[in-house]
Amino acid sequence: MNAALIERLGAVIAGIVVAVVAFYALYKDWRATGVENQVFKLMLFLLGIGAILALLAGLNVVGFAPKGA
Amino acid sequence: MTAASLPLDSHGDVDQLYIETRELRLQGFLLFLVSDCVLFASFIFAYLYMRNSGQGWPPPGIQRLDVAFAAWNSVVLFGSGATMHYALENFKHGNFMRYIWFLLATIVLGAGFLGGQAYEYTHLIFGEHVTWWGSGIFGASFFTLTGMHGLHVFIGVCYLTVLVLQSAAGVYTRGKFFGITAGTLYWHFVDVIWVVLFSIFYLI
Repeated sequence: MNAALIERLGAVIAGIVVAVVAFYALYKDWRATGVENQVFKLMLFLLGIGAILALLAGLNVVGFAPKGA
Repeated sequence: MTAASLPLDSHGDVDQLYIETRELRLQGFLLFLVSDCVLFASFIFAYLYMRNSGQGWPPPGIQRLDVAFAAWNSVVLFGSGATMHYALENFKHGNFMRYIWFLLATIVLGAGFLGGQAYEYTHLIFGEHVTWWGSGIFGASFFTLTGMHGLHVFIGVCYLTVLVLQSAAGVYTRGKFFGITAGTLYWHFVDVIWVVLFSIFYLI
């Protein structure tokens, strides 16, 4: 197992965990009001998107994949 | 805010100044984040403009960046955003020890991201000879933007370390914790900026 494969595997597993945690936190805070909570909700959503992007990059769905990776 | 949860000053009286200025502090801090957004946006648009005005990207002689390692390192930073969120939630609910552990986890993950970035820089500079000063637009924009972001992460790690020390000293109470809210906002901001940088440098 080469280093790139381990990194991709780590990105996929951790990406799933972080995306689930971010969207669950967003779901729990959905009814929260106030300026700071609105900002938190926006940032949690973008955090979840980022985790999904990293997960997709780990799966070679997005981004450049060099030969042998 | 109920009367029982109102923050008290050193004399045991209600800290009226804190209550009156909390919204102003929040607005001021959000304005600071917006100004930081503008700073990053100007560099990002300059990078995208230069990237699209050339012939092919990356320029000839420079290999594509390592997506696998960047994806892993990104998840480390995004994970720190999740732990920071739960640190604040635990503080709000009075779970002080959980708050401290989540805050420490955030610091460790943030430092881990910086370590990963240092590893990537070392690999690029010494392994592939891509430098800030000698690799044209690609090297200049990559090191400027990721370096500026790394500086923000470093400042965030220092800020969170101060938060741990202040919390241990009892500076924050359940009704008076704007410093922790600001730290969480800042850390989420740093995460979100990385979502953009990760996308433009490694994915498109």
